[in-house]
Amino acid sequence: MRISLNWLRDYVDIDVSVEELAHQMTMLGLEIESVERLGDDIQNVLVGKILSIDAHPDADKIVVCQVDVAGEVPLQICCGAKNMKVGDKVPTAIVGATLPGDFKIGRRKMRGVESQGMMCAAQEIGLAEETDGLLILDEELPTGEDIKSVLGLDDIVLEIEVTPNRADWASMIGVARELSVLYGTELRVPEVSLVEQGEEIDSLCAVTVEDTALCPRYMGRVLTNVTVGPSPEWLCERLLAAGQRPINNIVDVTNFVLLETGQPLHAFDRDKLAENRIVVRTGKAGEAINTLDGETRKLSDDMLVIADGTIPQCVAGVMGGADSEVSEGTTTIFLESAFFAPASVRKTSRGLGLISESSQRFQRGADPEMAAYALDRAAELIQDLASAHVAQGVIDVYPTPLVPREVTLRYARTLRLLGVDVAPETQRDSLERLGFEIISHDDTEMKVRVPLRRHDVSMEADLIEEIARLYNFDNIPVSLPKVRPCEKVFAPDEKRIRAFRHFLVGLGLAELYNWSFSNPDEVQRAALPESYRKMIVLENPLSEKQATMRSSIIPALIGNAARNLNYGVTSIRAFELGPVYRPAEGDTLSTQHNRVSLVLAGDVEAAHWSRPARAADFYDLKGQVEAILAHFGATATFKESDGDTFQQGQRAEIKLGKKVIGTMGRVASAVGRAFDTDQPVYVAELDLDALLAQQPSPAQFQSVPTFPPSARDLAVVVDASVPSGELREKAAQSGGKLLRSVEIFDIFEGEQVGAGKKSVALNLVFQSDERTLTEKDTQKAFDKVLKRLKHEYQAELR
Amino acid sequence: MKEQLEAFQAAALDTIAQADTLSALEEARVKYLGRKGAITEILRGLGKVSAEERPAMGQLANVVKGAIGSALDDRKVELSATADAAREESEAVDLSLPGRRPQRGHIHMVNQVTEEIIDIFAGLGFQVAVGPDIETEFYNFDSLNTPADHPARDSHDTFFVKPGVVLRTHTSPVQMRVMEQVQPPVAVLAPGRVYRVDYDASHSPMFNQIEGLLVDEGVTFADLKGTLMHFVHHLFGKNTKVRFRPHFFPFTEPSAEMDISCTVCSGKGCRLCKNSGWLEALGCGMVHPEVFKHANYDYEKYSGFAFGLGIDRIAMLRHAVPSINHLYDNDLRFLEQF
Repeated sequence: MRISLNWLRDYVDIDVSVEELAHQMTMLGLEIESVERLGDDIQNVLVGKILSIDAHPDADKIVVCQVDVAGEVPLQICCGAKNMKVGDKVPTAIVGATLPGDFKIGRRKMRGVESQGMMCAAQEIGLAEETDGLLILDEELPTGEDIKSVLGLDDIVLEIEVTPNRADWASMIGVARELSVLYGTELRVPEVSLVEQGEEIDSLCAVTVEDTALCPRYMGRVLTNVTVGPSPEWLCERLLAAGQRPINNIVDVTNFVLLETGQPLHAFDRDKLAENRIVVRTGKAGEAINTLDGETRKLSDDMLVIADGTIPQCVAGVMGGADSEVSEGTTTIFLESAFFAPASVRKTSRGLGLISESSQRFQRGADPEMAAYALDRAAELIQDLASAHVAQGVIDVYPTPLVPREVTLRYARTLRLLGVDVAPETQRDSLERLGFEIISHDDTEMKVRVPLRRHDVSMEADLIEEIARLYNFDNIPVSLPKVRPCEKVFAPDEKRIRAFRHFLVGLGLAELYNWSFSNPDEVQRAALPESYRKMIVLENPLSEKQATMRSSIIPALIGNAARNLNYGVTSIRAFELGPVYRPAEGDTLSTQHNRVSLVLAGDVEAAHWSRPARAADFYDLKGQVEAILAHFGATATFKESDGDTFQQGQRAEIKLGKKVIGTMGRVASAVGRAFDTDQPVYVAELDLDALLAQQPSPAQFQSVPTFPPSARDLAVVVDASVPSGELREKAAQSGGKLLRSVEIFDIFEGEQVGAGKKSVALNLVFQSDERTLTEKDTQKAFDKVLKRLKHEYQAELR
Repeated sequence: MKEQLEAFQAAALDTIAQADTLSALEEARVKYLGRKGAITEILRGLGKVSAEERPAMGQLANVVKGAIGSALDDRKVELSATADAAREESEAVDLSLPGRRPQRGHIHMVNQVTEEIIDIFAGLGFQVAVGPDIETEFYNFDSLNTPADHPARDSHDTFFVKPGVVLRTHTSPVQMRVMEQVQPPVAVLAPGRVYRVDYDASHSPMFNQIEGLLVDEGVTFADLKGTLMHFVHHLFGKNTKVRFRPHFFPFTEPSAEMDISCTVCSGKGCRLCKNSGWLEALGCGMVHPEVFKHANYDYEKYSGFAFGLGIDRIAMLRHAVPSINHLYDNDLRFLEQF
């Protein structure tokens, strides 16, 4: 809400600087979004008096005026307007002036005649709407005076955020009340003096409230002899400062009073109400209404409407109808001031997708007592500004007046909750100043009656908050709590996940962070198996591209790789640790699983002056996966897999025992193209929950060798189809306990070993815990290995 | 024999001095002092020397042997130094050439900040708790004193999965999930992904929050202030100013927002802080009695505070990132800066 300082001063004295005021309001809970100095964009615009108006020698539509701005000599200004006469006072922008929109005024020639400034129309100095011609000022205004002080354009507007609990703050009086409490000064609520005359209201309009649950209070007045016309300058100024557009004196008064009191009002053209009746009822099936914003809206039977004898004329508390709108020809007005049930207004407003100043206030809870004041205040203003007659009497349907809540506060609880000892007298005084009525009090507690405007206060803690606000949060002391240990560990895996993240970063990988949403088609594009296509679908996604919750991180990572490659990134080594989602069967929510996914593309080793760059391949990915498995102490196997996500011959599923815990491979070319890349991309995804479940026991000590190792190389020729890793396994199993390790150090295929054959070179390391090995020992073990490989694979020593 | 020894010594020392490689020196050692070397020959002749002369000759022989030995050692040191120098010269590197630097990994900015925040609170005795991203309306709203018709729901533009099931709009539901499991004392920190239907330069439909909750006997608003000031001073530095101002959240009473002095202008006023000198850092307050009711906690016995902060915003402030969208763009040119 926009709070004009000039306006606010009508209700409360403010003796502090704007900065200080903004701070004070902030510390009361009135958050300041911005401070706007209205006149800031208007400089050097003065009150000018037109001394003469002469024809332009070369232009029909331009006149040449001499304008006195109390300078040494009058200014010569060319002007295209027609509504001024000699002697008029007008806003005059002199050379060097600035107008809103950063429009700078310079000396210029118009058709050969010098013009030393510009006379302004209202809209040119940020005033009202489009008007024809110059703004003619009051002739009493002193010539040469700055237009900003004359027209109140020197105002400062504080934009405040009103929290949803404080409907009472959404008004000038509400804000002023808070400041008057802070300052201990008087709140000036304007006194209303209206003169009832002419007919009795009952003869002009009949009101029936059918649903008093949704409309606990309904008030109305009728005004006759209304003259609809433009509002006076002071009213326009107030509305403009509040960010509202002046329309006509009737609408402007209802808007003004809404801003002043927080009570939404509505003015009906009584002559448009069938049977001169107001019926407050719920909508009927099939009913619709043309609202003021030009839309036709369907009503339902849970929406409260203000109807006439036949059709709805207003969506109660939300927006009026176009049919009974006040227009130029309106002469009789029915003015409504009501209290509608907050929940009902909120529901209707949401149901129609229609939010208004009125609905926002009603849904937070208006003040049923303010309804009466606001009605009279508006009637008075219309009486004065539209020379209207206020009909005799007021309609007030309030069958069950709202009963103020009574709340007890134990003084000791204030200390318990705030950690500061506020004296009981101070506690009572704070609440009294805020308008709470002390019903009773003794040494330990007090009982207060809560003003009806305070929908947010219903319990002791609410009162303590009020005391704390006035005490000022800044003055509450600072202490550190003694945190006692909790009996339960809530997320035992979190530390391990963090350690794992650091481990992955230690492998040189960068961490990615994708949205949990996914494009429903990306699972297909990545050719993931059917099981991934069962996804959680959002009812109201941001767009179709984020309509599902991801079932795998793989598509996102392929997409990330493709985009980065297309940006020209040459090396992509990255991972994501995060959740994937699956719809659950039955009533359960859904299931959420942690995954770790890797992506490699481009160079794994950058080019260096000492060696060329090396592009990523399958074994880089496998090495990373192996490192991950080792990190968790997991022994997994890699089995050739199928499916179209990965390229044939470079794809594997990763199994822990019989359970598949992951998938990996080189992304198939077709999939890569579907993600906009034709470069090789390698991706793996593992079930992090399964890895975390491995829970390796602490490693146990093994004696450190004291005798030297002895190494032998063994190269054998076998069929090219023999899996080399398996051969290595067999070798390792067959060397007896002296054989400590077997590593493959070369694979060779070529003419020398014959077609369909390959040479596998192994490095065998032998070692004993008891003695230094002899040539004879190692030869014996070596022979055993060779014999086994000959037997298993018809291997020949090379 | 004396002459023989002296001549021998002279010849040996000369040979040693002449030796200009380590191998030549080794040859000299073998020649003169080796088991089959010249000295052995000479000493074999000691038997022919008279008994009176024998001790003196023996002594002299040892002196000669010692002199040759030390000459060999000295020369070896000299030659080694020369050889080393030559090798080192030939192996000199070009210091200006870049080294082989291992590619370094990068923790995502959001997790860097999350970990740091967790560590600060862990030091005070808080532990991590987690909850699901896909939540029931009960945990996300109702149990947090935000019933269906509550206007506070308007500020949470919620993604719906189906009626009653939402993507959590904040990490606060973890509060309730934790409180349901244990009676106080409880002190947890719940980081995680949260979702709102909002997307522009300063809003991402998915972002990250951390929720904090402490409930025990005698926990006060003063404790809340102290805890959060401790946090700010550790994360942003001792000189950061903090202010608490009244605010509204349905699940706390009293409620506050905490501002910190602007990280760019230190409170003087700039564009980032809209000239106020302050930046909104987090929302907090004393846990609402209605929330305790849902958790089956005794409000007469216990009190507690809760807070929730946007990790992304803090990360952006710390690293001067202009738009939240950089965080989830997965552009390595961005990620590898941090």
